[in-house]
Amino acid sequence: MQQPLANRVASEADPTQIAAAVLAIWTEIDDALTPIVGPLGLVALYRRTVHLAAAQHPWLAGRDEGVLTDTDPAVLKSVLAQRSSAEAAAGGNAFLTTFHELLASLIGPSLTARLLRSVWEPPSSGAAAQDTSP
Amino acid sequence: MSHKVIIQRLATGVPGLDEVLGGGLPQYSFNLIAGPPGCGKTTLAHQMMFALATPERPALYFTVLGEPPLKMLRYQQQFDFFDQDAIDRSVRFINLSEAAMAGELDHVLRQIVEAVTLYSPALVFVDSFRSVVFASASESNPHHKLQQFVQQLGMLMTSWQATTFLIGEYFVETDANPVFTVADGLIWVRQSVQRNSMVRKIEIMKMRGQPTLPGLHTFRISTAGIKVFAPAGMGSGQPAGLPAPEQGPRLLTGVAGLDEMLGGGLPRGYSVLVAGPSGSGKSILAATFLAEGVRCGETGVIAAFEQHPNRARNRVLVDLVEGGQVGLVDSRGSDLSIDEVVSLLLSEVRRLKATRVVIDSLTGFELALAPTFRDDFRESLLRLVTVLAGEGVSVMMTSELEDRYTDLRFSPYGAAFLTDAIIVQRYIEVDSRLLRVVAVVKVRASAHSNQLREFSIDEDGLHIGQMLPDQEGLLGGRPTRKRRDELSGAVDAADED
Repeated sequence: MQQPLANRVASEADPTQIAAAVLAIWTEIDDALTPIVGPLGLVALYRRTVHLAAAQHPWLAGRDEGVLTDTDPAVLKSVLAQRSSAEAAAGGNAFLTTFHELLASLIGPSLTARLLRSVWEPPSSGAAAQDTSP
Repeated sequence: MSHKVIIQRLATGVPGLDEVLGGGLPQYSFNLIAGPPGCGKTTLAHQMMFALATPERPALYFTVLGEPPLKMLRYQQQFDFFDQDAIDRSVRFINLSEAAMAGELDHVLRQIVEAVTLYSPALVFVDSFRSVVFASASESNPHHKLQQFVQQLGMLMTSWQATTFLIGEYFVETDANPVFTVADGLIWVRQSVQRNSMVRKIEIMKMRGQPTLPGLHTFRISTAGIKVFAPAGMGSGQPAGLPAPEQGPRLLTGVAGLDEMLGGGLPRGYSVLVAGPSGSGKSILAATFLAEGVRCGETGVIAAFEQHPNRARNRVLVDLVEGGQVGLVDSRGSDLSIDEVVSLLLSEVRRLKATRVVIDSLTGFELALAPTFRDDFRESLLRLVTVLAGEGVSVMMTSELEDRYTDLRFSPYGAAFLTDAIIVQRYIEVDSRLLRVVAVVKVRASAHSNQLREFSIDEDGLHIGQMLPDQEGLLGGRPTRKRRDELSGAVDAADED
């Protein structure tokens, strides 16, 4: 799949904008999935995603208290905002891609695409609809 | 003109279930699907939901506790009925675990009301209900609270014109559960395990205003979903023991001498039992019977219950099956139910418009049934024969029967009275050889031969030979040669026959 942030932020965006975009996408995911899997179900997915994405970008897990134990996505946002633009973009994309893959491994790519289509298909940006299947 | 309300019945989309329900599911009914874990409740609910939900009549599926929704979606999508395109369009999943875990029934109810108001569903599922029961156990008066909850939910859903299902993880049948009283329908699914076989059964314990089919009905879960085997043809068709009036010419068996002994072939619509010891040629006769049908432009169905079907079946039959003129119903291990066999047979008969059915053999058939059904084997056979007779087909059943030289028996199951005709094969010893003899014992309402004729088997099949008038005591297995003076009289009598 295409980098999730590609349609959301300009290439020259600063870390704060990137962090805000990641949080906005996560909020959409939350809206789409929480009714179905429940808040606890989503928290479990969130933690697993951070854990997996941190293998690539260890700083995602945070330093002291860390995102790994904290389930507030606002912490993720602040962690992203503290990195450079390139790092924040790479980390944000890794986080979202990992989440997508995790969900797909559990309920299959097509049902994942179905449930998250409002998230991954940018509403009115004018860009072509994204093919989310691998 | 009548002004009574007309209750619409919804087709559940589960094969066989509508028949068991007595014509489908009453619209706006409040139903309970109960049973122990792993018996197919969620699958049943999903299958009905995907069959019934449309964008105009959407479904809401509330997951309470129990199975996590992600897992449910992961496993349910393996079934053919799971339609991903329907999700968020005609089917919506809503998780209520948080309120349920806190034990707040009021909160659960409020969330359900909110969702129902928002989406106006025609179908509502609450999975699973035991969680709600448990959650309320911490309250001071759990039963009262629960009844209140269910009562309110039932009232609300009916007023909102939603057909509702509560899926219950486990209920004790004898328990005076208040939920049972409130529900319009009570669908019980369970597994019956005996020795190494497991059989799934469904029972409609209650369905207001409908003549449901009573008792336990077996079902099977495959990738296509649930299939219920409703007892076919009971209450319709021919009464037991009365074959359909003879229509058209008799059926030829493919063995000329045998047709002659039967009085000109087998009357159409009759059932015939071929009983005999191992190796006496029952299966060959059965295959010849089907092959003769094909030769006359008819089609047939064989239900084969042999241990090694490919090895045991003869070449002619394999060709007919491959050619599509004969349908094959194969046994699947040792967990069949009689209704499943009947259903498989009937669908093959109807698909091929078959006129001849062979069951080879009753002995194997009994072994293929799940042990839980073996006690009722005679009743089951009667049902099978009745249903097939109602369908108008002619049936040949083979039955393994050890030679007993002290008595004359036709079937180990007392199946003899079930069938319209009986052919018995037997071994006898003559001149240090094992010879076979055959006799037609009975052809209902028809003249038939009373001869005991020797027969042989070669690569062309069965050949009926002559009587052995110079021997007597054939049924004792060790006939003796008659004395000269008696012999001449016996030959004369045979010629007159």
